[in-house]
Amino acid sequence: MVPTISRRQALTGLLGGAAALGLGSACGAPALQLNEQAATGQPRAGGVMRIARPAASAAETLDPASSLSAYEYLGAIYNRLVRLDRNGETIPDLALEWSPNSDATVWTFLLRAGVRFHDGRPLTAEDVRYSVLHILDPDTASPQAGPLSIIDEIVAVDDTTVRFVLGTPNAEFPSLLTAYQCYIVPADSAATIGSTGIGTGPFALTSFAAAGAGSVIANPDYFDGAPALNGIDFYSIQDTSARVNALLARQVDLLSQTNLDNPTARVVASSNGTTVASVPNAQWYTIPMLATSAEFADPDVRMAMKLAYDPTAILGTALQGTGTAGWDNPVPPELAAWADVPRAHDPEQARSLLQKAGRADLSLPIYTSAYEPNLTAIATAYAEQVSAAGINLQITNVAADSYYTEVWMVQSLMVSYWFTGRPIDQLLNQIFRSGSSYNESAWSNERFDQLLDSARADLNEESRRSKYADAQRLIVEDSPELTPVFGDRLVGLSEEVVNYDEYGFEMDYLRLGLREA
Amino acid sequence: MIKMIAYRLASGVITLFLAAFFVFFAVQALPGDVAEQLLGQNATPEAVATLREQLGLDAPVWLRFVQWLGGAVTGDFGTSLVSGESVSSELWSAFGNTLLIALPAIVVGIGLSVALGVLAGARRGTTTDSSISVVALVLMSIPEFVVATVLVLLLAIMVPIFPAVVLQGSEATVTELLPSIVLPALTLVIAMAAYIIRAMRSSTIDTLASEFATTAELKGVRRRQVLLRHVLPSAVLPVLPVISINVAWLLGGVVVVESVFNYPGLGKLMIDSVSTRDLPVLQAIAVLSALVYVVVNLLADVLALLLDPRQRSLESSTRRRRKQEVTP
Repeated sequence: MVPTISRRQALTGLLGGAAALGLGSACGAPALQLNEQAATGQPRAGGVMRIARPAASAAETLDPASSLSAYEYLGAIYNRLVRLDRNGETIPDLALEWSPNSDATVWTFLLRAGVRFHDGRPLTAEDVRYSVLHILDPDTASPQAGPLSIIDEIVAVDDTTVRFVLGTPNAEFPSLLTAYQCYIVPADSAATIGSTGIGTGPFALTSFAAAGAGSVIANPDYFDGAPALNGIDFYSIQDTSARVNALLARQVDLLSQTNLDNPTARVVASSNGTTVASVPNAQWYTIPMLATSAEFADPDVRMAMKLAYDPTAILGTALQGTGTAGWDNPVPPELAAWADVPRAHDPEQARSLLQKAGRADLSLPIYTSAYEPNLTAIATAYAEQVSAAGINLQITNVAADSYYTEVWMVQSLMVSYWFTGRPIDQLLNQIFRSGSSYNESAWSNERFDQLLDSARADLNEESRRSKYADAQRLIVEDSPELTPVFGDRLVGLSEEVVNYDEYGFEMDYLRLGLREA
Repeated sequence: MIKMIAYRLASGVITLFLAAFFVFFAVQALPGDVAEQLLGQNATPEAVATLREQLGLDAPVWLRFVQWLGGAVTGDFGTSLVSGESVSSELWSAFGNTLLIALPAIVVGIGLSVALGVLAGARRGTTTDSSISVVALVLMSIPEFVVATVLVLLLAIMVPIFPAVVLQGSEATVTELLPSIVLPALTLVIAMAAYIIRAMRSSTIDTLASEFATTAELKGVRRRQVLLRHVLPSAVLPVLPVISINVAWLLGGVVVVESVFNYPGLGKLMIDSVSTRDLPVLQAIAVLSALVYVVVNLLADVLALLLDPRQRSLESSTRRRRKQEVTP
């Protein structure tokens, strides 16, 4: 955490400078001052927290493998084999240790002994085998089935040993099991798990209604000790302003999956009894330029789109400083695998690149929507920036509910975002590899794909990391994907809440609590 | 009169059919379908195709419409594409919740605004009149979501008397909902009162200037008596259409208000089904809303006939005249 804070402080200083030069004075408001993180402290015993969440739809389920899982519940009631820490390293959860064979094609995991599901059944290697096979089952249509399809065979060696046999060598295989679809459920539970929610987690399910209210209660037998809270009540509130009203009226203590826009964050931060915590760099904002489009098939045009803008200015105006400038490297700076890839801000060179490509009068729409509160601000700031290089972008705002079906991967230029908290191997393979279903810019680079393959096969930590660094360099130099900024997620919560922390698609449910009276 | 009702009922059925027809094809024209909406960003072409097949969406549009219509006639609206529950049960429970806020709003709103309208009309030109008119004008021009937000700010956040939103979902019981109905109902009263007050005021002024009202006044009937006995029944007639439109609007589910209060009524059900492209639910809501419009307007017309004997005779005399024209 220490290097993160100093980096952010350095940034704040930089932004202050930008504001003094007149960049920030246009909007008149001072930069948003918010807590670095939620309050910490001794939680009171027996607290029950109320969390408001936007439900995915009336078809949502507690089956973690599904793309419709009610994801706030998952971290409370289930465990994975392994999870991610802040640096992107894989750390133990239900598995205590794991090791590959000599060419990383067979991985053996040793489970914790004595872990029990909420219904009293002991956790065994068979449950792990079943859970992963359930993800791979085509009928489940799990989003994680693709990345895990490298698994050829799963063997429950004995009660606490499970072995994965892979089709290709993969030194980063354990990190694939950190995805939030990979929670472990009891064997033979596929038909019922969506409503029973039986897991090994710190909380046990007491009730659940799709798109409705539900609750969980502390699991006193949790292997890592009982959680600070006695229980959590979840409520589903679809409308963002209704969710904020519920917090301001103290009907709920925390808004999950809600990145407050800056004006709302100000209201919540200055209201009595409520505050705002930021999850640093939780939102990875992107501007994919579709490589299959007429404009962006040319690498010179792509490079010009990069050279033409200054990410720090976008951070200052669109996010009012709450985040980190991206400089087109999609890897969040917290990850140990992050590489420093310098990239110039040079509108003049951008102009000459466009001239060379015969696109000196580049003019096209940039699509945005209210799907996420910062998308339009980022689109506007970016369009303003690149106009210095003679690029004319028309902001085109479209309906939010069809944005990801009609615009994403269809229009040549749009603003989008992802959550950070993916391990490096999954991030690069899922979003940048040729042909991946998540490859939003339709980039295809043979050398990049080879680099990823050779990194996966490389058991040497150091040389693997340097391959990932080369891959990042390739993305900055050639890919049609812009990463202008990483944004902090601004989370509204009650001043009563202590130890709120969220990373890698999961809250820290064990330590989360309510302040002592 | 019976004939009139029968004629209106027949045109009502046609209205219902047209409403269902247009909603069905309007939703078809929306970008994306339920399979894509359900799978969202995780949609792979294979997954979308599988889900479409499971939901029967690969059948031709016309066939699906006819199948749905066949069920709807018998009161079977099918099952929701999203939740898999019966549409009828979802629909009636949401409609019941909407009634819970709409009925008090209608009773209080109509009573209050008719009284205020008569008061303003009777005291035309006084401070009472101008204050009522100005307030009504201001309220008319404020969108209801602003009214709702201000009410939440005042009565739920600054002075926490009422809950700001409904926390329980559609499974909430009536007792759980009761404390939460005050603010939405109040918002609806404010939203509809202004129109009725304006209409009632000008109608009262017109009626006060009519011969029978001036005669009554000249004969020495007390002002209050003139207003209540003579003016009010006649003055309310031209306002009935305004009232019926507002009532139908309330019962049809007030989308914005229910969304702001997270109120599990018909309006919120409609928003959710639009965003998930849940066609069966959406069509059922459209048919129910159309039904409410038809019934409420019919009731308003019948009420007008009962209140005003002249209209009754007018109606039969026009019909007689028409008949004479047809017969040689």
